[in-house]
Amino acid sequence: MRAGLFGLVLAAMVAVVAAAPALAVVRVVATTTDMAALVAAVGGDLVSVETLIPPATDPEAFEPRPGDLDRVRHANLLVRVGLGYDFWLDPLIHRVGDKRLMRGGTAYLDASAGVPLLEIRGQSVVSEGGHAHGVANPHYWLDPENAAIVTAGIVEALARFAPAERDRFVANRERFLAQLDARLQRWRESLAPFAGVKFIAYHNSWPYFARRFRLDVIDFVEPRPGVAPSPAHLAHLIAQGRKAQVRAIVHEPYEPDDQSRLLAEKLGVPFVRLATSVGSLPHTEDYFALFEFNAAMLARVLGTPRQ
Amino acid sequence: MEDALSLLLLPFAASVAFVLIHAYFGVHVLRRNIVFADLALAQLSALGATVAFAGGYAPTSPAGFGYALLFTAVGAALLTFSRGVARFVSREAFVGILYVVATAATVLVIDRSPQGAEHVKRILIGSILTVGTADVAKFIALYAAIGALHWFLRRPLLAISSESQPQGRTTLAIQVWDFVFFLSFGVVVTSSVTTAGVLLVFSFLIVPAVIGTIFSRKVHVVLVIAWGAGILASVAGFAGSYVLDLPTGATMVAAFAMVLVLAGLAKALIFVEAARRSANRRIAGRIVIASTLILILASSLWLIINPAADQPLVAAFEAATGLGPAHFLKASDRDIYESAGRDMLRFQGEVDRLNAREKAARYEGAPLADDEIRRIASYQQSFNEMTRGEQYVQDVLRGKARERERWAVGLPAAIIATVGLGLMWGQRRLSERRR
Repeated sequence: MRAGLFGLVLAAMVAVVAAAPALAVVRVVATTTDMAALVAAVGGDLVSVETLIPPATDPEAFEPRPGDLDRVRHANLLVRVGLGYDFWLDPLIHRVGDKRLMRGGTAYLDASAGVPLLEIRGQSVVSEGGHAHGVANPHYWLDPENAAIVTAGIVEALARFAPAERDRFVANRERFLAQLDARLQRWRESLAPFAGVKFIAYHNSWPYFARRFRLDVIDFVEPRPGVAPSPAHLAHLIAQGRKAQVRAIVHEPYEPDDQSRLLAEKLGVPFVRLATSVGSLPHTEDYFALFEFNAAMLARVLGTPRQ
Repeated sequence: MEDALSLLLLPFAASVAFVLIHAYFGVHVLRRNIVFADLALAQLSALGATVAFAGGYAPTSPAGFGYALLFTAVGAALLTFSRGVARFVSREAFVGILYVVATAATVLVIDRSPQGAEHVKRILIGSILTVGTADVAKFIALYAAIGALHWFLRRPLLAISSESQPQGRTTLAIQVWDFVFFLSFGVVVTSSVTTAGVLLVFSFLIVPAVIGTIFSRKVHVVLVIAWGAGILASVAGFAGSYVLDLPTGATMVAAFAMVLVLAGLAKALIFVEAARRSANRRIAGRIVIASTLILILASSLWLIINPAADQPLVAAFEAATGLGPAHFLKASDRDIYESAGRDMLRFQGEVDRLNAREKAARYEGAPLADDEIRRIASYQQSFNEMTRGEQYVQDVLRGKARERERWAVGLPAAIIATVGLGLMWGQRRLSERRR
């Protein structure tokens, strides 16, 4: 009986191994779905991508599981957002203790390298590279143009592991960027009539998005992450929102929406939930869809006349 | 101001409704000695709502409410069962286990349902500030119904709550009354937790009831005092939250605690018989003086031992009197200290100015090119580094100043505090001998 079962398991394992493609697949682990989407765009069928944070969960409240340790250990390439956004990855890397996966290692990619950063903060994190790196707003993937910089880094990192496939990575990236450019043109056109329109957002997630699509996020409902707004702050937002003629309240997918809805109601403007990450809302399953969704939502909400 | 009043009116109405019903249940809960039962019930109802959420129902839909109610009923049954458990272990232990298991189960269910994190956050923190008119009406109707039910059933319910082994009642009757109590309690808590959050509901429940119990043993007196204190604390909480610009829920919890402390002091210093009163006032006076002197002694010794370390009391003293470290420096050092402060402000101003410029360019005029953005970022980094440099200069000079304060301030303060404590000790010995 036991021998039979063992034989069955063995046969299944052989079948799995035999079914695996003969291609040299690069195992990539990304911290967020956005990084995973960009890796998939460059790597195509030459990579298998796994994401550590499930979509639509608060990245700052993420708690790694034992399986994540295993995923990181077996990764050929680790891609992170950086800028303190996925700070919980550091203890994970140190637990694994593989030089390859550490900052400066061949299998480590901080995708924020080279991105023009907005809203540099006071504290700095000194990296081993010798350059002090100010902590900036980390939501840089919400500007489609930054995808060119991020994917360039991804091509280099993938080619370090699979040098023979470099040309295919480069070709994939160029095809992806060409498509992205064409779409970006459309998104910008659809939002062009709303240039300079003022919003209040729940969190400070939108500076890169606002820069690309020429929007003005004047203030935030939650003054500090995780701290509920005080009545004085809400009263201030209402007064400010009236004065500045705010046109909508923008809200992130994973945050409670009571305060944003109350504010929208008091100001008589629409409440709109935009996606901060790939997969964080329905119909945002890849990098294109993320912007397709956000641009369409914004255009629809702003297209309706002010109440 | 008008905006603020219109913002706070509904939350205040809701919190009055919460105080009225929760303080009543609080009296029961205190008598039953299971103060954490509300957390367990609230968490079970949250688990129910979460299961509904994972199943695709909105928390406010009938199905969502049905799930929450079902899980609350299970919780009520388990708490009813806890009377039997009390023979083996403390009921509080049982209630605690129920709470943590329900919380963990919620996290596990959430993990399988996308966009559930928001839901858990809401239950933990709540948001009394955003309660709607319809919600308040719903609360009032629900609490009136439950209040009426409890008024009709007050005799058996109070008897069951007050005695651990009620006489003249069958086990079955006790269990039925227990279940009725816990189920109605669970419904109340389920309704309030999603609005007010776990922390605030716990305060509504326990603090007013404790205040009432300090002053009386009679249920109706306890209730009236509890209601008054609860409403007073809510007013203080909302006012404090508005004036000090603080999150409402946490400020209200602090306000409830403050009213409790004041009530305790009032009881000890005013509402006791005359003989105890003067003795209590003397004791209170001594405690205040002695603890101040001990604090000064500890802080001055810490200043003498390690002047370069954080000196919270010295820093508070400096901030309150305006006698900053600059006063203890040589004229040349003082200039450096003060100019470092000015430079820090200037550099931060530069960073803010660059941020404002970049932000304006997002939607006005010609957009900034990536290289322009990089240049701004590197300027900002330099200014931040320079600010840190000036901060370091100030830290070093503050250390130098503290080095002087060590003997000029620390030693006299330590001596005065020691002498003061010695005098108090001597006086106490003297009065003991006289007695």
